[in-house]
Amino acid sequence: MTVVSELWAGVVPLLPVAVIVVLTLLLAWLGGLLAGRLMRPSTPQMAGAARRLTMAVVGLIGGTLALQALGVSPDVLLLVIALLGVTALVALRDPLGNYGAKYFSDIYTPFKVGDTIEVQGFSGKVIEINPMTTVLLSDKEQLVSVPNASMIRDVVVNTSPQAWKEVTIPVSISGNLDLPVFESELLKSLSKLRMRLDVRFPPVLTTKARTPQSTDLTLTLMLRRPEDRDAITAEANKRLTEVLERVRGSRRSGPTTGNSR
Amino acid sequence: MPPLSICINTQTPLVQFLRPPVGDRGEGRGREPVDLAQLTEGVDYRVSPGGVTRMVYPLVRRLLKERVLDRAHWVALNPHGPATVRLGELTLHNVSIDSERMAGYGMVKEAIWGRIHELDRAEEHDELFWSEAFSEYAYYNRITAELIQRLDTEFDFDAFYVHDFQQLAVGHMLGTLKPKIFRWHIPFDATSIPEKWRALLSTYLNSYDVLVMSARRYATSLKAFRPTGRILKLYPYVDPDDYSIPTADLVAETARRLGLAPTDEVALVVARMDPIKGQDLAIEALGMLAEKYPALKLVLVGNGSFSGSAAGLGLSKSAVWRSHLEEIVKARGLEAKVLFTGHLGQADLDALYERCSFTLLPSVQEGFGLVTVESWLHGKPAIITERAGIAELVRNGSNGLLFDPADPKSLVRAMRLLLDSRAGRLRSRLARNGRITARKCSLDAAEEGESKMLAEVTEA
Repeated sequence: MTVVSELWAGVVPLLPVAVIVVLTLLLAWLGGLLAGRLMRPSTPQMAGAARRLTMAVVGLIGGTLALQALGVSPDVLLLVIALLGVTALVALRDPLGNYGAKYFSDIYTPFKVGDTIEVQGFSGKVIEINPMTTVLLSDKEQLVSVPNASMIRDVVVNTSPQAWKEVTIPVSISGNLDLPVFESELLKSLSKLRMRLDVRFPPVLTTKARTPQSTDLTLTLMLRRPEDRDAITAEANKRLTEVLERVRGSRRSGPTTGNSR
Repeated sequence: MPPLSICINTQTPLVQFLRPPVGDRGEGRGREPVDLAQLTEGVDYRVSPGGVTRMVYPLVRRLLKERVLDRAHWVALNPHGPATVRLGELTLHNVSIDSERMAGYGMVKEAIWGRIHELDRAEEHDELFWSEAFSEYAYYNRITAELIQRLDTEFDFDAFYVHDFQQLAVGHMLGTLKPKIFRWHIPFDATSIPEKWRALLSTYLNSYDVLVMSARRYATSLKAFRPTGRILKLYPYVDPDDYSIPTADLVAETARRLGLAPTDEVALVVARMDPIKGQDLAIEALGMLAEKYPALKLVLVGNGSFSGSAAGLGLSKSAVWRSHLEEIVKARGLEAKVLFTGHLGQADLDALYERCSFTLLPSVQEGFGLVTVESWLHGKPAIITERAGIAELVRNGSNGLLFDPADPKSLVRAMRLLLDSRAGRLRSRLARNGRITARKCSLDAAEEGESKMLAEVTEA
């Protein structure tokens, strides 16, 4: 009896912590879901980022409250987190800058592998975009490595013919989605945008990589007018999502990741 | 070079099933591979006549025998076949799509075919690639690519060999860095391709490492598209061993059965029933010559293609064309001079080649024209349309007689040259030189060219 009482006495102070942890997990999941839904009209990447950020913020608040419930001063905790954060930022400033730039250049920079660009006085064909740098092959067959941060900070000129026309949207689908049906339905849906697209270039879905779990594709559209770029990108993303959800109706599939360049 | 493992893709299957194989009845697409050796040709199945399969199969057989290949898989569209068929070291895989999608696919492929053959200049097809039907063409190509991809995961092929425009998108859809070869079997004239088709065709063509064309002029014209892959000219081919010289008795028996008299002069056309094959030109030419040469008879061998047959895709246009031809025959009063034999087996065909005086290839457009090679192998003079790929191997008056299908009188003139009572020496010369030219389109020549190409592309 005494042992049970002692155990119970030890567990009771932890109950509020457990409740906080459970609530935090629940709220983080709900908040992430809500943020993802709210951001869905923009791009799948932005929606994913909003979901992850919301979950991180809720998690941080919940973690702080849980530690406070255990008797740890929140001021000390926040100070330690802040110091660690600043140290990490200072130490990893350049790589983080490049990584972040890669993330944003995926969304906003109008070039892709295969295009010819000019940046910081260098010119060449883009042969690789990795998390840190964009690698160009110059006319003299030299490899030029440009930090991704430059792609955000500096002026980048895409000199590829008809580069302004091209909108490429990465699409990742799970391995159990019926790809032939998805492609067929997507082409049907996109043919409705024909008046806004260059009729010499029908939409093309290109296979980039595949594993048993997923297939990475890119959808390429060619604009008729440059000013339609944002509108067409948003509309194509919307149609892509609609088709995916329709095809998922018969089979389950993983999330799409898509955006445009 | 160690033996290779390749995956071949054609639209037409090597084998068409006349009824569901044993163990597969009712469903038609059982899981267990069907062993063709256990079935009976003519009862359970038939080998697809003519076209791509007739050419590809002997080569695959030879390359397996010579150990250039150690195994081969062949993916084709075959809605009435079992999923998998074993044929020695060759495995056939059949793709099936439902009738609704088949209609869309059929419409697109006919439109492409018509435009490439310059039969159809309708502007409505300029935006073919935006049509709903095109999504079904993409569906067929994607479902084929998915099957090939699955097979590659299992068998780890060294290369992929895709045949003809019906599957052009497959190379683009295969997410692989392995070598991909595409053989274009129909004519190719870059100037006849609509502006609005060019970008997508280029995208698809650029997915291949080697583009094989059937004639020099097609290869030259393809350069206008500036494909990233290598362009190669390799003539189509037949296996001379598949052609036998029938006995005189068999020839006489076949002729009698078909209603040919011993004194008849026989002009032979071997082609499927299709407007592009120009049987109407041959009938018109016969009409112009019938009075002067009363013994002249025209024999038209062939019926529908795989696309047009009941065992195939059911996209029949051959029946309509045959009715049209019969109307022309009737209108010209040539009923007693024109024979429609339909499809003939190889033995009957060999007998007819032996019996005929000469052969005609009257096509309005023709990717190559292997029937002319068959004619040469049988030692028969051939009259050949200038619009056939094989025309570039013909020296007019030496190994064949050429005519312009846009000028029917030029066909009449060529036929008259061979019907003339003093034509004996000309016939002999054309037959003798034709037989020599046929070597360029033999399986031996193909084995050499294709083996070299496969070696280069897989070792590059």
